[in-house]
Amino acid sequence: MNPTMIPIPSAWILYLSAVLFVIGAIGVLLRRNGISIFLALELMLNSANLAFASFAFRFAGASATAAHALNGQIFIFFIIAVAAAEAAVGLALFIAMYRRKETIDVDRFNILRW
Amino acid sequence: MSLSQFIPFLPEIFLAVAGFAILLAGISLGKRGARGLSLLSLGSLAVTAILIWVVGRPVEGAHTILGGMLFVDTFAVYFKLLTMTASGIVLLMSAGYLERSDYSPGEFDALILFATLGMMIMASGANLVSLYVGLELMALSQYVLVGYFKLELKSNEGAVKYFVLGALSSGVLVYGISLLYGALGTLDLGAIRAALTASDTVNWTLNLGIILVGFGMLFKVAAVPFHVWTPDAYEGAPTPVTAFISVGPKAAAFAMFLRLFLGAFHPELAQWRIVMWIAAAATVIYGNIAALTQDNVKRMLAYSSIAHAGYALIGIVAGTAMGLWSVMVYMLIYTFMNLGAFGFVIMLETRGYAGERVGDYAGLAKRHPGAAAGMLIFMLSLAGIPPTAGFMGKLYVFSSAVQAGYIWLVVIAVVMSAVSLYYYFRIVVEMYLKDGDEDEPAPLVRDRWLDAMIGLCVFVTLFLGVYPAPVVGLAQSGVHALGLG
Amino acid sequence: MHIEHLLTFVTLGPAAGALILAFIPGRLEKVQRWAALLISLAEFALSCLLWANFNPDIAGFQLQTAKVPWIPQLGISYHLGIDGISLLLVMLTTLLMPVVIIASWRSISEHVKAFHISLLMLTTAMLGAFVSLDVFLFYVFWELMLIPMYFIIGVWGGPRRIYAAVKFFIYTMVGSVLMLVGILYLAYSNHLQTHVWSFAYSDLLKAGRQLQMGHSFFTSPQMLVFAAFALAFAIKVPMFPFHTWLPDAHTEAPTGGSIILAGVLLKLGTYGFLRYNRPMFPDAWHAFVPLILVLAVIGILYGAWVALVQPDMKKLVAYSSVSHLGFVMLGLAAGTIASTEGAVLQMVNHGLSTGALFLLVGVIYERRHTRMIADYGGIARVVPVYTGLFLLVTLSSIGLPGLNGFVGEFLILAGTWRRYPVAVIFAALGLIFGAIYMLWMVQRVFWNPFTHEENKSLKDINLREVLAVAPLVIFIVWIGVHPTTFLSPMEAAVRSLLMH
Repeated sequence: MNPTMIPIPSAWILYLSAVLFVIGAIGVLLRRNGISIFLALELMLNSANLAFASFAFRFAGASATAAHALNGQIFIFFIIAVAAAEAAVGLALFIAMYRRKETIDVDRFNILRW
Repeated sequence: MSLSQFIPFLPEIFLAVAGFAILLAGISLGKRGARGLSLLSLGSLAVTAILIWVVGRPVEGAHTILGGMLFVDTFAVYFKLLTMTASGIVLLMSAGYLERSDYSPGEFDALILFATLGMMIMASGANLVSLYVGLELMALSQYVLVGYFKLELKSNEGAVKYFVLGALSSGVLVYGISLLYGALGTLDLGAIRAALTASDTVNWTLNLGIILVGFGMLFKVAAVPFHVWTPDAYEGAPTPVTAFISVGPKAAAFAMFLRLFLGAFHPELAQWRIVMWIAAAATVIYGNIAALTQDNVKRMLAYSSIAHAGYALIGIVAGTAMGLWSVMVYMLIYTFMNLGAFGFVIMLETRGYAGERVGDYAGLAKRHPGAAAGMLIFMLSLAGIPPTAGFMGKLYVFSSAVQAGYIWLVVIAVVMSAVSLYYYFRIVVEMYLKDGDEDEPAPLVRDRWLDAMIGLCVFVTLFLGVYPAPVVGLAQSGVHALGLG
Repeated sequence: MHIEHLLTFVTLGPAAGALILAFIPGRLEKVQRWAALLISLAEFALSCLLWANFNPDIAGFQLQTAKVPWIPQLGISYHLGIDGISLLLVMLTTLLMPVVIIASWRSISEHVKAFHISLLMLTTAMLGAFVSLDVFLFYVFWELMLIPMYFIIGVWGGPRRIYAAVKFFIYTMVGSVLMLVGILYLAYSNHLQTHVWSFAYSDLLKAGRQLQMGHSFFTSPQMLVFAAFALAFAIKVPMFPFHTWLPDAHTEAPTGGSIILAGVLLKLGTYGFLRYNRPMFPDAWHAFVPLILVLAVIGILYGAWVALVQPDMKKLVAYSSVSHLGFVMLGLAAGTIASTEGAVLQMVNHGLSTGALFLLVGVIYERRHTRMIADYGGIARVVPVYTGLFLLVTLSSIGLPGLNGFVGEFLILAGTWRRYPVAVIFAALGLIFGAIYMLWMVQRVFWNPFTHEENKSLKDINLREVLAVAPLVIFIVWIGVHPTTFLSPMEAAVRSLLMH
């Protein structure tokens, strides 16, 4: 690490991930446009990624816990892969919906009681 | 890691290959061959089951494979066989249904197999990574299955709602896992348990992580307040899919729930128990009360399945070995009785979504006494009246809670199961005590396979109601796998 | 047949019979009826064998079956046995079954097969509840009674049958689920002490007695478990104020259903109090005795008062049941040997008299399709034999000396007098009311001026109906003239129950 750079404290990254997670969760629950909901979902998953990364970074910093770092980093890859699959399935569902209703506004999905 | 470690994993590998093969076969067959493909899928499930018996069974005691990713233990075998049985029954029930529909059977059967694969991994996961991947494999297959009738608006809508809330819960689960990782530095269930046993300080990151994971699991088993997707997904989905998602995935989710909370997080029992207590009580109360006013049978059964998740949660609240095996037994019993009830709904659905109203059942006992008697048994069992299996399931769960000292929770649960009688018996009243429209009697689907599957469910429901001991013995052998006395 | 299997045969016999009926095609209605009748007669013969093998000098349970593990994980087993009290009630049950089948010969014309299967299943459940020596087994039989009775009311009942059936079902179910919690709690406290799971009656008896009393109701395990049991039984009896399902169920049920309901089902409530609440929770019982006394007396007076103004004969008899069972509860609450013996005898008496009354009301209802008192009047001249039988049964019901009702009521009142004279005074008032409303009904139906021309063609009671009512009348007279036959077998059992 370049000694002239001051590293960002890992706690800050954690706080950021928590903020992103909350924004994402609120977005999923409050936004009505399908694409916005989608973005919010991705935000939630990536906030978890960020948390994993920051924890892994912290573990890597100390020699006693260095072995733990790999666990979190691997999980990130799994989340990315799963998120891609989720996007494929989710977008397909929204497209099927759009073909029938010509809208992806979830408020208009009202045959079933929400 | 040597190649021999893959041998116990052969059943899963085989099932994945079989799933793809059936997918390909389905593409070439188009809309034909529903029954053939069902049989083929059932055959691959059977081969998988045999493989589990031959290589996937803990002959030399429980151990982990693939670098600590998967357990090979009796608990896993129990839930694998249970979910595979559920999938097999659904495959046979749905063959005729798909034949009557405009949709091709290939993808349907393949998706069921993939979901089953996910459930098998959930049942045996020894690491949060494998559990998460298994869960997502199951969930993604389910979203597509719910939206399988892609030209039906109801099916689309159910799928979208299910997907949005399901993905939300996955996000919560993953974030909870990240906090756990941050607190403990490991994702291995055994290591988590060891770390939790060793430390006795209250760690808020850890507790928040456990609670978030708990929320994610409560969502998957459809417990209050994370149940909102259930009625819509159940009503919107094609009925065989409803039958499927109400049993197999629920059993698999409970398997994972038990692995996590009575296995890995058991040392922190005192911390999370109150959350589960509240969730169990709220689920039992809300599920039963909300079911009272439903006129759509699928929706009513959706709320009833919420209530049943609540009963099973009581065993988790108990947190003892008995609580553990009682939930295992409950899931098995619930699988058969609920599949039977949904099989009956399929029987009435001669066209589209017809036969879903409670009123459609009027006077059924006169015209189809055998079918009505079957449904009566499932309703009795769901309501928990002896001598049916549902009663035995509740007995074990409630006994475990009484033994752990949670009497008031049991009081709530039994009062609510008395309430549940009212809505289950609305169907019985329609079938037996009311006269139907004689001019235009609702026809029944005549499908030997469906009849046979319902018959199987009736048999199991009655047999376990009279003599549950063998299943209990099986479940008890799975207790040691989780390290509970 | 080995003697230790006798109880199993008696209990499971009807269920086996139901299985046989299931294989007889439903269109052979005659065969169904005869088969059911033969099965029920065989049952009665078997239970007479029970009586013959019964040793009245033994206080505890006898003729026990071998203890067969059923749910080994929880120590639940199949175990039956009888003492003098359950013997009498088993006899009552098996006696009433052929009566019910004969009484339903004409009145049940639809789904004959299903009716008899329900009836036989119900018999097994009732007998099982009387003879179980495992509390869990008792609970299973107890719950099992609900389903056939629900169908008997709901399928073969009157115009408001669905309402009545659902009300019956929900009421009794709400009562009994809490009993399950109580049973589980008892087993749990037994497990705490002995570290063995058991639901055996004898083990839970000990566990119940050792439950803490505490200072207030909600902190007292014994009181709470007592209440959980008592609620289930009080609804079944039914005690005031849990009685509201009974008139509906009775009015809507077919004649056969009413006979079983009044004859046996209600007895399970009082039997439960005697078998479970009283010996298992002696301290809580003493705390609750004043409440039970008060409710019993209210039940006696209220039932009689409401019966007085009923225009419908069947409803009148239904409310008279509330009143009569108040007497039984009074006798149990007083807790002397005489009053308890009287209460047990009165259970049997009520089964006989009220069963016969429902049967006779059913006879006339089949002819005129009305049960309104106002639709009759002066029919004694048209149907003399029927009138004679009705009068006899009425007199038995109001406790005329020489008939069964007198013995039971006298024992109850005499036994209670020593401890609770005030209650006896009020109860005696109920006795007078009882005579008034019953005799007033008889007067209006049979003797008042002949006002309805259509009653002229009323046919008198026929041979089949006489055959149905005859066994009841025989026992009504027998108990009245020679009660010792029935009091002696239960004496030892009652004494041992009250000792604690």
